[in-house]
Amino acid sequence: MTTTLDLHSHSEASEDSRAPLEAYLNWLKLKRTERPVDGVVLTEHRQFNQEGDYRALEDKFGILVLKASEVETDYGHVLVFGVTDEMTRRFDFANVHLPAQEVIDEVARMGGVAVPCHPGRPNVGLCEHYTHKPPLENVIAVEVLNGGSRRGEDERSEELVRQFGYSAVGGSDSHLVSLIGLCATRFEGEIRTAEDLVRELKSGSYAPVDFRPRRKPVPHAVPVEVK
Amino acid sequence: MSEVTYASVQIGDTLGPQEFYLSKDQVRAYAKATGMWVPRFTDDEAARKEGLPGMITPGNMSLAIMSKLVSDWIGASGARMIRLGTTYRQPVLPDHTLTLQGFITHKSENDRTAEMDVWVESEEGDRLVIGTATVHFPR
Repeated sequence: MTTTLDLHSHSEASEDSRAPLEAYLNWLKLKRTERPVDGVVLTEHRQFNQEGDYRALEDKFGILVLKASEVETDYGHVLVFGVTDEMTRRFDFANVHLPAQEVIDEVARMGGVAVPCHPGRPNVGLCEHYTHKPPLENVIAVEVLNGGSRRGEDERSEELVRQFGYSAVGGSDSHLVSLIGLCATRFEGEIRTAEDLVRELKSGSYAPVDFRPRRKPVPHAVPVEVK
Repeated sequence: MSEVTYASVQIGDTLGPQEFYLSKDQVRAYAKATGMWVPRFTDDEAARKEGLPGMITPGNMSLAIMSKLVSDWIGASGARMIRLGTTYRQPVLPDHTLTLQGFITHKSENDRTAEMDVWVESEEGDRLVIGTATVHFPR
């Protein structure tokens, strides 16, 4: 049984998003045929919502909701899956200069997986840091499909994957309700919990999936007179 | 087209898309009218000296352009935009065709408001400015 998850999304708990989780789930229900995702992973910026209990919403919409985090490191932004109390005690998630190698190694030791996201993005992506710093060790996957990427960013990420042999995941990086589920990751195994997700990420049996509609070319319109 | 009413609004309804060509002269006119006559908004060469790809559109003008998408959708219905929040992701370069688009994402029965996502998109499909708006429908 396969499981398709949007691995990267931000609800209103992140300071730059106004998207309530319920609106995300309602939107996914509405768009089920276009974006057939089984669940979303909330990756709030620089925090982990330990208390959040979304079971009632999961039941209401029939969509899995998992919790993770997007932290900021000296090699750019990193998604942390399988967050535990031990991790939040070990690292101050609010610190925007976390040491990436320590995050990757310690998260793995504590039973999670750290995945650098949007590596092709200037300043906050792995590719730029690799131009002047040694490559990180023990990276198992990076996000090559990001719904917020600009032209060329995902292509740089793909090149990184080819060069270093990382596994590849996808996520919408949605900060708006209507963008949830546009990019996702299809896993070969069944995922019901954060522990399942970590197990599947370690397995390497997954691929990014792109549900963005093909865009028709926009013609260069005729200039209009300023009124 | 019939006027939008609170009852007629459905989650998933679209705003736009509206395509339009934004000229450099329009941006200069806006910069002049709003007292923002600074090189980055008026002159390609001067903007490049600041490290920009060319002259750019003032953020307030992008905000105004996005608000037009919402106000066009409201039409003469009597509804009122009570909030518009934006995130600027990339510079909006004039002399390009821009697309405005939005979706209704939420309705609140208690305060008779509709929430919507709105954005400005480049010819290549990059979302240059994204935001959300709230529209109130009086009884």
